[in-house]
Amino acid sequence: MRESCVIFRRELKSYFFSPIAYVFGVLFLGVLLFGAAMGSLVDGTSASMQAFFGWLPVVLLGFVPALTMRSWAEERKMGTIELLMTFPVRVSSLVTGKFLAAVVYLGFVLVLTLGLPLTLGAYGRLDWPPVIGAYVASLLFAGSFVAVGMFFSSLTRDQIIAMLISLVVLAVLFAIGVPVLVALLVDWMPAWGVDLITGISPYKYFQSIARGALDTRDIVYFACFCGFFLYCNALVLHYRRHKG
Amino acid sequence: MIEVDRLEKTYGFARALKGISFSVRKGEVVGFLGPNGAGKSTTMKILTGYLLPTGGRASVDGLDVVDRSLEVRRRIGYLPESTPLYGEMRVDDYLSFCAEIRGVPRGRRRKAIERAVELCGLARVTGKNIVELSKGYRQRVGLAQAIVHEPPVLILDEPTSGLDPNQIVEVRKLIERLGAEHTVVLSTHYLQEVEKSCSRVIIVHQGEIVADGTRDQLIASRPAGGLRARVRGPEAAVLAQCAELLPGCPVTVVHRSEQAVDYRLDVGDGAAPVEEALSRLVVKNGWALLELNRERPSLEDVFRSLTLGSEQEVARA
Repeated sequence: MRESCVIFRRELKSYFFSPIAYVFGVLFLGVLLFGAAMGSLVDGTSASMQAFFGWLPVVLLGFVPALTMRSWAEERKMGTIELLMTFPVRVSSLVTGKFLAAVVYLGFVLVLTLGLPLTLGAYGRLDWPPVIGAYVASLLFAGSFVAVGMFFSSLTRDQIIAMLISLVVLAVLFAIGVPVLVALLVDWMPAWGVDLITGISPYKYFQSIARGALDTRDIVYFACFCGFFLYCNALVLHYRRHKG
Repeated sequence: MIEVDRLEKTYGFARALKGISFSVRKGEVVGFLGPNGAGKSTTMKILTGYLLPTGGRASVDGLDVVDRSLEVRRRIGYLPESTPLYGEMRVDDYLSFCAEIRGVPRGRRRKAIERAVELCGLARVTGKNIVELSKGYRQRVGLAQAIVHEPPVLILDEPTSGLDPNQIVEVRKLIERLGAEHTVVLSTHYLQEVEKSCSRVIIVHQGEIVADGTRDQLIASRPAGGLRARVRGPEAAVLAQCAELLPGCPVTVVHRSEQAVDYRLDVGDGAAPVEEALSRLVVKNGWALLELNRERPSLEDVFRSLTLGSEQEVARA
């Protein structure tokens, strides 16, 4: 736990001390808010949080792989992985420290978007509980993407490969939770098969929480999903000690 | 302090370590010598817990490096090859991070960092980012990182590679100073480094230990090679008599001057008492023996004879 904390703080600092974090943050916010504004215009409705939270998962899909591609690939390329792995620290602590740092960084960027609901609230009536629920859902959703992205970053020392693979995998995981796309599957397989497949998608649970009902089952799902990929991540690092 | 017993490591089909055994006592400074790919780095990576061995055992301070890896790692300071560092961090932040993650308690941390900074001569650059530092300073940061938690064992993989001659001397002095307090295992290409700073040398070649001992022991283990003699007397007669009396030792003329001629006798394994026979010969003929000495092989000769021969065989095969 203490070791995770040390790793977490170093990682978080490195986010805020590197220009990448600022470029990433600015672009992320720009794309997010611009997209949300366009969405509202297309709807013809006034600016709403619905457009924002509809667009946010898509932006996360594009940006999270770019954020996580460095996490292990860079350490391997620079050789600093050899330092990390020879510190008196469990692999699991390394993985959780890195994971939490990325999630907290994304959380920080999400907090910066609070200006939007605050403005809306100031100029009209805003129903806060669903907005807060949707923020929680977004953070959990972002976390699940970070876990996947980090896992693929641990498989290679090439950041671009890490990014591309996680992008594709995340796109598939995303797609199997989109109702319109799932509807296409219904003709091809039995209902339980469809349920099984959509049951894997973080997007399904994101929607379920963002709709306003914070169900413990959804939280458990995200915990299991992240846990699974973080565990695989730790296994990869551990196994590499055999191979060299 | 360090016990290595028939340690093996296989990468795919390549056998990097073919069962090496050695031990290092507390306070020793041991130099690992060997051509590239001999298995030096692999051995160090296993000792530090970065790699798992394929076979055999190794222990540090009585603790198995596989079963009790965390405890072993706590006792080791490690400088990996090519000195990986977090470039975007400041030197003091980096050292603080290393101290913290290695479990130096908060109260002692500042003292520990100050000590490492002082020992490694980093005081001038503590506020700088690591990327801005020269190679020599980076190397010192790498060393400071390795000693910040005052580990009983230091493992340094090529601590002086890529440095200029002045920096090499500095780092070497630093290692000598560290050797007073720590048990040190270092690997290197530079033979002078071993001669200067190591109390013992282990030569590794193709995954096996081919020599292990102090510098003098290693040199003594090699055949002497040649005998140099400066004789005043008729050259033709000297050559003829030598060939007759010492048929096993081919004689060659090395240098001619007005007063005398320098000869070199190839004494082979060095067992025969050639000195005595030669001096008798000189006295008997009424010549003068002005100088007589054995050629002392250098550590370099030892290294080359141990590691070059089989490489040529490999090249031929």
